[in-house]
Amino acid sequence: MKTLLALPLAAVLSAGFATTALADWPTDRPIELIVAYSPGGGTDIMLRTLAPYLEADLGTQIPVLNRPGASGEIAYTALSQARPDGYTLSSLNVPGFLTMRIGRKLRFDPADICPVARIVEDPGMFVVQADSPYNSLADVVAYAKDHPGAVSVGTTGVGTDEHLAMLQLEQSAGIKLTAVPFGGANEARTALLGGHVTLIGLNAGEFASTEPGQIKALGQFGEQRSTLAPDLPTAKEQGFDVLMASERGMATRCDVPEEIRARLAASVEKALTNPEFQEKAKQQGLALSYQSGADWSAAMPARLERFQEIFKLIKDRQ
Amino acid sequence: MNFIDLLMLGFGEAMTLQNLSFCLLGALLGTLIGVLPGIGPTATIAVLLPITFFLPPLAGIIMLAGIYYGAQYGGSTTAILVNLPGEASAVVTTLDGYQMAQQGRAGAALAVAALGSFFAGTVATFAIAIAGPMLSQFALSFGPAEYVALMVFGLLAATILASGPVLKAIGMILVGLLLGMVGTDQATGAERLTFGAVELFDGIDFIVIAIGLFGFSEIIANLERSGSEGVTVAPITRLWPTRDDFRRSWRAVLRGTGLGTLLGLLPGGGATLASFSAYSLEKRVSRHPEQFGKGVVEGVAAPEAANNAAAQSSFIPLLTLGIPSNNMMAMMLSAFMIHGITPGPSVLTNQPEIFWGLVASMWIGNLLLVVINLPMIGLWVKLLNVPYRLLYPAILLFCCIGVYSMNNRIFDVMLAAGFGLLGYAFRKAKCEPGPLLLGFVLGPLLEANLRRTLLIEQGDPSIFVERPISLVMLIATVALLAMMIFPAFRKKREEAFQEEEA
Amino acid sequence: MAGPGVPNKGDRPDLLTAAIFIGLGALGLWQTSALDGGTLAMMGPGYLPRVVCGLLIAIGLVVGFNAMRREAVAIDPIKLRPVIVITLSIVVFAYAATHAGFVLASLFLIIAGSLADPGGKWRTTLLLAAGLTLFGALVFVYGLGVQVPLWPF
Repeated sequence: MKTLLALPLAAVLSAGFATTALADWPTDRPIELIVAYSPGGGTDIMLRTLAPYLEADLGTQIPVLNRPGASGEIAYTALSQARPDGYTLSSLNVPGFLTMRIGRKLRFDPADICPVARIVEDPGMFVVQADSPYNSLADVVAYAKDHPGAVSVGTTGVGTDEHLAMLQLEQSAGIKLTAVPFGGANEARTALLGGHVTLIGLNAGEFASTEPGQIKALGQFGEQRSTLAPDLPTAKEQGFDVLMASERGMATRCDVPEEIRARLAASVEKALTNPEFQEKAKQQGLALSYQSGADWSAAMPARLERFQEIFKLIKDRQ
Repeated sequence: MNFIDLLMLGFGEAMTLQNLSFCLLGALLGTLIGVLPGIGPTATIAVLLPITFFLPPLAGIIMLAGIYYGAQYGGSTTAILVNLPGEASAVVTTLDGYQMAQQGRAGAALAVAALGSFFAGTVATFAIAIAGPMLSQFALSFGPAEYVALMVFGLLAATILASGPVLKAIGMILVGLLLGMVGTDQATGAERLTFGAVELFDGIDFIVIAIGLFGFSEIIANLERSGSEGVTVAPITRLWPTRDDFRRSWRAVLRGTGLGTLLGLLPGGGATLASFSAYSLEKRVSRHPEQFGKGVVEGVAAPEAANNAAAQSSFIPLLTLGIPSNNMMAMMLSAFMIHGITPGPSVLTNQPEIFWGLVASMWIGNLLLVVINLPMIGLWVKLLNVPYRLLYPAILLFCCIGVYSMNNRIFDVMLAAGFGLLGYAFRKAKCEPGPLLLGFVLGPLLEANLRRTLLIEQGDPSIFVERPISLVMLIATVALLAMMIFPAFRKKREEAFQEEEA
Repeated sequence: MAGPGVPNKGDRPDLLTAAIFIGLGALGLWQTSALDGGTLAMMGPGYLPRVVCGLLIAIGLVVGFNAMRREAVAIDPIKLRPVIVITLSIVVFAYAATHAGFVLASLFLIIAGSLADPGGKWRTTLLLAAGLTLFGALVFVYGLGVQVPLWPF
């Protein structure tokens, strides 16, 4: 099966074109943008919204190709088998890209894939019903200290952002919570509104897109307060060592020439300063936060180490 | 403003030339992708989503909604004509619809499906308008425990579907449950039954199984039975339903509409559960249950009404609470968000023209669909006169593209071919694939909710009898089980008595 | 299957059912054997699959046992040509679609698929293949935006 899949993927992505001279990049040949999620998801819509701005700047077509599955592994595998000529990009999602290598055998080498630019940094949050007695993380921690396991936390599964944030809070505050997995943020939100779980993890973008007055946030897990929630204290400010943010951007193969990668990054940066794009991003609840590929790569090893520690926690517990 | 004023406002918005034409466009597009097997509304809407940037908010949303319920109409067409359900909710339509087509009554089946859907759509639209906020509270009261009870009831009810022995139907449900477990375990991230294939990490798509078990194996079986020359349907006796058809189906449509409106509110398998339960209910209350599966009109009317009602009422949680109940609704949520509108109670008060305009457009869209579809029936029925030698390669091609287009990968097409072989084996074993599909759709919901309930309650199962909705549902399950066992038991006893007397 | 010498007991379709159920159940048990079962309160990923597989095997055994005692019923005759030709042409189509483009794959699928049924006229088949390929390219690839290359280059 492995070769059966690999061959046509490589064939379609390199589709018989001769490598063009770098100086010409980009020619009128389309630049394929592989998205690791299904059409209509957050990452897909973000990149479909961004693509026209990159097309205008680079003067070429950027068709979006969805290769969903295995939390990105299928798309990253496709990218790592494409030609390193700068005509294939893919979406890049952290922490998924970092955590998938922990305890799982991958079909691609993560070292082959280098970020081009970060577009969004969306911190995690813990959220309760609007009429809940809890108003801060400390309130929840105090209750959980007296009632181990009684506070249920809606997550989207083991090893997901929300679950990792929950484990960090447990560790940092010395409490025990009960993780209840749901199929996605929407399912978890429904269960919260129905009062079936105590609190749920949401991203700031998801929180911003919820009808005001239904739910309230207890704390956010970014290094700094997100532009989407400037009044909400971070976990650090509240005295708990919890760091969790979902970052979305784009990547190419590492052996794509440096000039091309720099040109792509500059184009993304330019789009992010375009007021028209910023307006659209605001409507979609995107917390824009540009970072160059080099800066983003440099931050990854430390994050990976942190995730590895948390995953060890999960393992020890089982 | 009172209810009538608001509805008038909505119709005023929906009747503008622009909104009317986008409604028509959406309905037409929806019918097209509904008829083409495999290509689903989710993918189409995703492709069109960026285009709605350039449209006024209401026009864009009206068009996307039109695609959604248009696809429900179109989906029943292939189910009836060529035994190919495009979506989980159309599976039961194949049972009697396809039989009717074989007997030369395809026109009647299509007309009843269209009219039943229209009636159900109308009722559900008014349900949204009148009781939307109230109904969404009902949806919220469904926690994990209630889901478990509902799923158990739904799965058991599915055994009524099959005309063969109950034990085989239960076995098929179990096979479906097992297939539903393929992929990454939602709770722990562990790989299950994937045989190491990365393509299976996210589980198997419904379309892959449906096209394999129904589409491919039907073609193989037809060719095997008689070669393509021999595949003929009975000559069409009459294009329109008879008075008797109407007499028999109106009650079924009513019951299907009620069930569909309620079950459509529930996240996840709502629409599917609605059509399956509507069919089971009809078979249960019918005075001639033995005719079900052999082409009775009620078997088409009830599930078609139910799935259309459910498609409409699944908008209720989205519009009133901002909660999408399935993938399609999540897509609709994105469409709202693109225009900076967050669906929920505040839209009802601040931008009533959006909410009421959409509600009114749904009714208009349903009307347009009937107007489009009724004259088309003549055309569709002619399709049955196309020699099978020319028809089956076309079905084969459409199925292959449809399966491929879901994830753009060949693995799915090969998997579907595998399910074609499995379906062929099931035919030889005289096992009906309907219950398998229901188990496949409901299984993951059942498992996830069972585990959630036990996690929240820390292992104490007494919650199932403590919560009223769950208790009622479990009592109904036990009653159903008793009804299934006792008639057989009684019959055996009667036979025994007769033997004694003899 | 239903040749002479078949004993007059045994419902073959039901025996096949039993074989499928037991086979799938056993396959499932084998595949999930490494998974953690967990407890009722903290169900592991292996808990319910094992329950389902167990039930499936049990039902398979009951169906099979009953079938042995019933009057003999033969399985409908099997013709291998449609099974093999249809399955193979789908598999080759899948592989060709990404490899050689939609146009060639579609032409192949229809021409090869038509061989499942002997006695077709070549002219009709070729016309059908050309027409359907054109229709598919227009409706699916251009109209609905299915992401597949049209040509091999």
